[in-house]
Amino acid sequence: MEGQLSSLVVTKEDIETIDELFSQYLVDSQAKDLILLNKSGELLAKSGAVTRESAVAVSALAAGVFSATNELAKLLGEREFTLTFHQGKETNIHISLVDPLILLAVIFDNKAPIGAIRFWAKKISGSIKPVLEKMASGPRQEPSQDLRKGLQDEIDNLF
Amino acid sequence: MSLIDFSKSEITFKVVYYGPAMSGKTTNLSWIFRTIPEKVKGQFTSIATETERTLFFDFLPVELGTVKGFKIRLSLYTVPGQELYKLTRKSVLKSVDGIVFVADSNRDRREDNVNNLADMFKNLEDYESPDTPIIYQLNKRDMPAIMPVREIVDDLQLKGKAIYLGMASSGVSVMECLKGITREVVSKI
Repeated sequence: MEGQLSSLVVTKEDIETIDELFSQYLVDSQAKDLILLNKSGELLAKSGAVTRESAVAVSALAAGVFSATNELAKLLGEREFTLTFHQGKETNIHISLVDPLILLAVIFDNKAPIGAIRFWAKKISGSIKPVLEKMASGPRQEPSQDLRKGLQDEIDNLF
Repeated sequence: MSLIDFSKSEITFKVVYYGPAMSGKTTNLSWIFRTIPEKVKGQFTSIATETERTLFFDFLPVELGTVKGFKIRLSLYTVPGQELYKLTRKSVLKSVDGIVFVADSNRDRREDNVNNLADMFKNLEDYESPDTPIIYQLNKRDMPAIMPVREIVDDLQLKGKAIYLGMASSGVSVMECLKGITREVVSKI
């Protein structure tokens, strides 16, 4: 059995903390972009020059690749692989597991050695883990009744 | 798993189009992509083989509009229908909020529909998500050798379920299905 949560709630405070950490680490690590996503492929936060539209697509694909890789792990008798790395001519992407639900994608050019990227991915993961633990501990902010009712009543108007 | 982001006032739902190979899942997404206004759709990502069969998945992010100050977004996915890609189908289904099961009405696809639906329920069981909202599109109603609706309903045990009769290549019931599953997923929040 591989259970999953029904909702992941992200507060303004969570995102501000992550954005701040990402801005600092983007400079320190010399990565091009940092993207935080959940295992279902939703973008949570990003830093760097990547547009939101691209980051949304990268998140969907990165989660798909990671999930497929984990099916591969199971076939080989491993519980899970904790990172995947794709190397290009000029751009590379390193995707690693931060906590059971969240992945970090680090996009970088060929100037940075892979060892350094692995080091930074680990360091960034360690720094944002407390924020993610808060998120996973359950909703600290619930959608209001007004919003729930609005969703039910107004869905027809959205089409 | 819906994502409720209070920092951006956004709610995102993951909807997966599931069904046997060539039943019209990608056709549904392509129709949505062509129909909805430019400003509300994102990049359509499709990973297909040289013969244009879906290899990994198709992905289309859509922004529906704003309700009570919250932007409502959908992440639409398809799975590869071919038997070979069983594990890929399972991985795309991870953390899904709602499913549109696209069945092929052609008589010679009867067994594929039954097997694919069983495969979907097995995956949902593995993910401990048996209550995931599902709607059913009986597609290709314009083909010559199709099964009567009641026969498909019996085969797939769909009595009492939300059923749409589709011709996705000409857009029939495509947006209705999208609306139907959206209504189901938002009711779960």
